[in-house]
Amino acid sequence: MSDMLAPDDSPKPAEATHWDSYPRFLMRAISAATDGSFLFYAWMTGLTAVFLVGVNAWAHQVTSGMIHTHMTDHVSWGLYIANFTFMVGVAAGGVMMVIPAYLYKDKRMQDVVIIGELLAIAAIVACLMFVVADLGRPDRGWHMLPGLGRFNFPISMLTWDVLVLNGYLLLNLHVVGYLLYTRFLGKKPNPKWYKPFILISIVWAISIHTVTAFLYSGLGGRPFWNSALLAPRFLTSAFVSGPAFILLTMVVLKRFGKVNVPEGPMNTLVKIIRVTILINLLMIISELFTEFYAGGAHTSSARYLFFGHGEANALVPWIWTAIIFNVVAALVFLKPQLVQNTRLLVVACVLAFTGMWIEKGMGLIVPGFVPSTLHEYVEYVPSHLEWRVAAGVIAFGLLVYSAGIKIAIPILRGEMRFRQPAEKAATD
Amino acid sequence: MARAERSISCDWLRLPVALVVLLMGLPLTGCEQDTEVLVAPAPPPPGTATGVRILPVPGVPRIEAGPPDVHGARATVACSTCHSMKEPVASQRSGATLASFHQGLEVSHASLTCLSCHNEKNYDTLRLADGRSIAYEQVQELCAQCHGTQARNYEHGAHGGMSGYWDTTRGEQVRNQCTHCHDPHDPKFPHMRPKFKARDRFLVPMNTGSAGAKGEVARSGEGR
Amino acid sequence: MSENSTAETKSGLSRRRLVKGLGATLGVTAFGAALSPLFGGPKVSADELMQRHYKELSPEDKKKVLERLQAEAKKSYGADVEIGDHRPTPNTKFVYAINLSICNGNGNCVEACHRENNHDRASKESYIRVLEMPKGTMDMEKGSTTYTGTVPAKDKFYLPVQCQQCDEPPCVDVCPVQATWKEQDGIVVVDYNWCIGCRYCMAACPYHARRFNWQKPDVPTLEINKKQSYLSNRIRPQGVVEKCHFCLHRTREGRLPACLEACPTGARVFGNILAPKSNIRWILENKRVYVLKEELGTKPSFFYFFDK
Repeated sequence: MSDMLAPDDSPKPAEATHWDSYPRFLMRAISAATDGSFLFYAWMTGLTAVFLVGVNAWAHQVTSGMIHTHMTDHVSWGLYIANFTFMVGVAAGGVMMVIPAYLYKDKRMQDVVIIGELLAIAAIVACLMFVVADLGRPDRGWHMLPGLGRFNFPISMLTWDVLVLNGYLLLNLHVVGYLLYTRFLGKKPNPKWYKPFILISIVWAISIHTVTAFLYSGLGGRPFWNSALLAPRFLTSAFVSGPAFILLTMVVLKRFGKVNVPEGPMNTLVKIIRVTILINLLMIISELFTEFYAGGAHTSSARYLFFGHGEANALVPWIWTAIIFNVVAALVFLKPQLVQNTRLLVVACVLAFTGMWIEKGMGLIVPGFVPSTLHEYVEYVPSHLEWRVAAGVIAFGLLVYSAGIKIAIPILRGEMRFRQPAEKAATD
Repeated sequence: MARAERSISCDWLRLPVALVVLLMGLPLTGCEQDTEVLVAPAPPPPGTATGVRILPVPGVPRIEAGPPDVHGARATVACSTCHSMKEPVASQRSGATLASFHQGLEVSHASLTCLSCHNEKNYDTLRLADGRSIAYEQVQELCAQCHGTQARNYEHGAHGGMSGYWDTTRGEQVRNQCTHCHDPHDPKFPHMRPKFKARDRFLVPMNTGSAGAKGEVARSGEGR
Repeated sequence: MSENSTAETKSGLSRRRLVKGLGATLGVTAFGAALSPLFGGPKVSADELMQRHYKELSPEDKKKVLERLQAEAKKSYGADVEIGDHRPTPNTKFVYAINLSICNGNGNCVEACHRENNHDRASKESYIRVLEMPKGTMDMEKGSTTYTGTVPAKDKFYLPVQCQQCDEPPCVDVCPVQATWKEQDGIVVVDYNWCIGCRYCMAACPYHARRFNWQKPDVPTLEINKKQSYLSNRIRPQGVVEKCHFCLHRTREGRLPACLEACPTGARVFGNILAPKSNIRWILENKRVYVLKEELGTKPSFFYFFDK
């Protein structure tokens, strides 16, 4: 829960030294993250329980082997990598709020930007956990450490992904940590210490998803992935799922946290989704057109995904659910003043988010392996253990996210200060 | 050879990437050269068999003349015992139509007659198309008259089973010859039944039982 | 939400602290309990955990590692195996070719590979798969690996596929830790003690050549092939990727690979392409050979040809 442990790289003159104030900041943060209403405790305890179930499942997997997953030599990546791919999108999408806030100096956005960055942090943490969960030998993780192991950089796209994901995590930890810390001190943040990082993080957000797409699109032997459109598709879907999740967070904060969320930022997010969800649909249509109109040997995966192959049709219900969700969500997002209709907004966001989760997860990773490179149709349905591990990772991500928000809100509201009420006026 | 090609293919990446790498302070390990010095294998110890050894085929065949005697010894006669007295029938194609001997012998070998290969002048030898006699042990030469492709392939190790060494300077390579696998009277290679099927993991019952567990394989329809 | 910020009494605060402390203790205990299977499982020795990459091992290191692996095999499988370290021979580049006109799909090669390479018995794993293909097409989509009955079936031909030992191996490029590489004689090998099991190489391989050890391989003691090598057929650890290595523990000694010896038809041709008089050289010079999925640019060292 101490994800606020940002690298202490903010050496600027202050009356009280950082040696005093920074540990205090951390202590107060931990205290804030573990205090709350009964509902909050229930939520956090529930997440912890799910996380522990996941940890236990993973421990079993490591001990007795991945035989307990339903992955095979044919479908060698499954639920973990599917979730990883999707979570990268959520992380990248989370930062998209930064663009209006800082590039276009939208003042109202600057407070809610923190939510996006916290989401990015939580999603990246989940991503990294999914990758670790997918490793057959997590005990050999150190083989990837530069210097100690043998890091196959720059040839392997996976090494790029490791670098950009960790870099993105550090960037966001720094920005969030710095902004919250200065607010905590009751000072105006020095643009020198966060502006450049925010600008980098925008480019970086695009890079994490592009590099993740390159992981797949760079494989010539997998025609389903080997498409130039994959990276743009990843990006547009990221700009749907990230903002949709933030909108949901805002609704929850409004309802349960009694936080006054301004309508402006919500409108901006709705506008972003309104456009990107349509672009994403357009890209799906383009992909499907090229696949099915020209035909040929390369369409077998898409055919399997959408229509099944004989008795092998495990993914058909998934993908049609995703398509229907996406189309309905796209239509709902077209509604003007959607923000005022909370219930409809929640439905639209849930549909869009779930639709993207299927489309970028199971609907993208699994058909890449079906049929196999020797054209064998071996199906994949995740095992109970895989679901447990995945739920555990997502629960941990939500824990990080919830704790982060729980810390951020009192600081942003000025309720949590290094020197209590005296400097309250100094905010803003 | 392969090594050289790989390093060339990496070179184009080096320049633009070097900058990035320097910035990140990471060692450029992706294209490292294989600098290992290889050591030539030691010559085989003296007395080790090297070269190609072709497994011998039986020489002049003998024909069953009756049931085995009380000691189990087979009662056989040499071909020339009868054939030195009998008039050859040039058009004979099968043993099945004969009144005595060879009745069980079904021949299915293109349009060959018995005397296409058996030597009417000396039944203890075989006969090449140009009339020359060769010993039974040299039967491959006889086969090669028609089966040029197979003979050439055989000569270059691309036909017929073998075992032992690919590098015949280090050990012996043992090879079959035609009649080890092909019955000269019915030379079609026998049908076989695959007795072992690799299934990797995909046909194995899954350990964790969930209702939706899919392990089955569905094959491409042939009618597509 | 922030009721704690100002107006808490001293006793309320300490009670809250107590509850938090209890919660944290409970959480840590539960976490430990959740992880407990890790401590009950097979131990990974410190030497194994800290072992360097194969290419970084000095001759003395290697000796120690091989001895350790032999001891491990004795302990886990009860067999006195002999694990060597076969290095490439100078001026050698291995190439394989298959005569599809005479391959009859009997699958002896598949079984020979299974036995030679100490594959997991439960999954009947093998590095070779044979596709039954209808005559008149080269489209693998039309093939079947699960054919049954007598072979050769009417109007079918058989296409055995195993690692193609590509000169541009996509699997090597994608490995994040260089656990797989191409050696000087052209064989793509895996350091089973360096692989982290991410399976990216399996996704990258266009020929379904790679296999993963989903669990500790099960091989009965009496069936273990005791003649082993570090980079080839030693019994693999759980959770790592493996692949065909052209039986380097045999071929680097000059012997033929197991799949070739098992082939009753002689469809398989193996040898050193750099030797002008070699069989394989003659095939490539005189037959119209082709490679699988040439359009991918992987440059296989594995060729196919027909002669009728």
